[in-house]
Amino acid sequence: MSEKLALEHVSGNVRRRKHFRLRGSREVATWLLLLAVLSPFLWMVLMAFRPAIEVFDLTLWFTPTLDAFRALWQGNFLHSFGNSLLVSTLSTGLSLVIGVPAAWVLTRWQFPGRRYVALWILVTRMAPPIAFTIPFYLAWRWLGLQDTVIGLAIVYLTFTLAIVIWLMQTFFAAVPPALEEAAWLDGCSIWRTFWTITLPLVAPGLAATAILCFIFSWNDFFYALILTRTQAVTAPVAIVNFLQYEGWEWSKIAASGTLVMLPVVAFTLLVRRYLVHGLTAGGLKD
Amino acid sequence: MKGKTNWRSQQRNAWLAGLMPSIILLVVITLLPAMALVITSLTPLSLTNPQETFNFSDPLINYRQLLEDPRFLNSIITQIKLSLVSVLFQVIIGLGLALLLNGTSAWLHTARTLFLIPMVLPPIIVALIWKIIYTPDISPLHQVLELWGITLNSLIANPATALWAIAVADIWQWFPFTMLMVLAALQMIPRDPLEAASLDGASARNIFRYIVLPYIKPVLVVCALFRLIDSFKAFPLIYILTDGGPGTVTEVTNYYGFIQAFNFSYWGYGSAIAVVILVGVFVLSYIIGKAGWSDERKASA
Repeated sequence: MSEKLALEHVSGNVRRRKHFRLRGSREVATWLLLLAVLSPFLWMVLMAFRPAIEVFDLTLWFTPTLDAFRALWQGNFLHSFGNSLLVSTLSTGLSLVIGVPAAWVLTRWQFPGRRYVALWILVTRMAPPIAFTIPFYLAWRWLGLQDTVIGLAIVYLTFTLAIVIWLMQTFFAAVPPALEEAAWLDGCSIWRTFWTITLPLVAPGLAATAILCFIFSWNDFFYALILTRTQAVTAPVAIVNFLQYEGWEWSKIAASGTLVMLPVVAFTLLVRRYLVHGLTAGGLKD
Repeated sequence: MKGKTNWRSQQRNAWLAGLMPSIILLVVITLLPAMALVITSLTPLSLTNPQETFNFSDPLINYRQLLEDPRFLNSIITQIKLSLVSVLFQVIIGLGLALLLNGTSAWLHTARTLFLIPMVLPPIIVALIWKIIYTPDISPLHQVLELWGITLNSLIANPATALWAIAVADIWQWFPFTMLMVLAALQMIPRDPLEAASLDGASARNIFRYIVLPYIKPVLVVCALFRLIDSFKAFPLIYILTDGGPGTVTEVTNYYGFIQAFNFSYWGYGSAIAVVILVGVFVLSYIIGKAGWSDERKASA
């Protein structure tokens, strides 16, 4: 018996030492891999701060400059940046106002058609944008909504509404129904209960959902490319215009790319936990 | 008793008031366009023939043409090649990284978060990043190779490599998705069997093969299906990097539909292509549902 214990002790020691060595090499391997994987991304960010004449150089030693950003500030880019902000805010706001109550109803009310509503929302998440673009393009031409911020915001509802309804359901499900029932028994109306009791409890989830909606609208390129011309051009489309018409001004292009991705990267890392839900439309448990 | 039924119907009306705006909006912005798409696909509508909107004299003409359109059939093959290769590598790399990064220490947490960056970037920025890498003039890749005496021709201008160059960019963009999902699954594996196996002296390889892998297999399958469906939508990378070329080497079905509908303004024909993609997506979504990954099934289980 004691022999066995001693043996275990020894082997435990060996394992611990091996484990330690493993962890050291694992750490190094991880950071090296990370550097390798992110290097294309870092290169673009560096490029944004490079002086325009050194943009073709390989060197990492250069005096950073904000010239490229200044050029963007003076150019037309701010207009498209503003459009992006406006369109994303608008579609996020609309989808929250319309989708949040629906998500709550879908969590609390077990009506017969519930399954089909859920299924339909999942299908819209899966459908390729081109399927919606052709009808919207034709309809917007006819309705005069082409190249308008409001028209684009409505199109973005096709995916932001789905995100809101899916994500908020998981948050509402975490709120104990007993709280709401108690309020009903005390004579509180259903929507007042929702407003004063349920909604404050899901505030963090609501914030995460809003951020995800904003990011998905902000990131869209396909709809904006087809449904805008000059007035409602969003930042991603403006970058492509730079690429096509000013393809030699690489530091300016890199600077616009850096500006567009910065808010997104910052925000998404904030809502990392909910990313899985957002991306799979709630189809997978985190 | 009367009060109770009254309360019930009031409650029902309140529920409906909350639900209806969303349902109506969803019908208007998703169901109607989907129907309009199918209807348009049955007509020869185009920019030059706007009067053909309701010409259903030969409803299947677009679909018949598709079957004989070599460019369309070729685009499907391109799509399959691109999708299979990128999904395969996304799953392998994502799985490998998830195993490497699984743990609770703080630095692992930081590394996990940083590895997510490619996925959260706006797709157009990913395309821009790889445009820089693949443009010989300014590419660090080309310049480093040149230092070593290797002259590389542009990978995206070469028909033999263009599709794989896009696949590399796509893999780079989406491996974090599999990584994230597998990590979530790994953290749900119960500790007991792992500890028991390692106490019994099982090798790390066997533990992975007989305990970890069976646990995460459903997640891997679902990840692959999700990525497969999303890969049908690949657009910014192709638009920015190759524009479908050289020739039609990188023209996937989605891109061909875009060209027909918005470059040539053959809206009827473009709609027919979109319908074909939609059907493919439906079939795959149905398979995901069967794989037991809808919320409904989880709720009832």
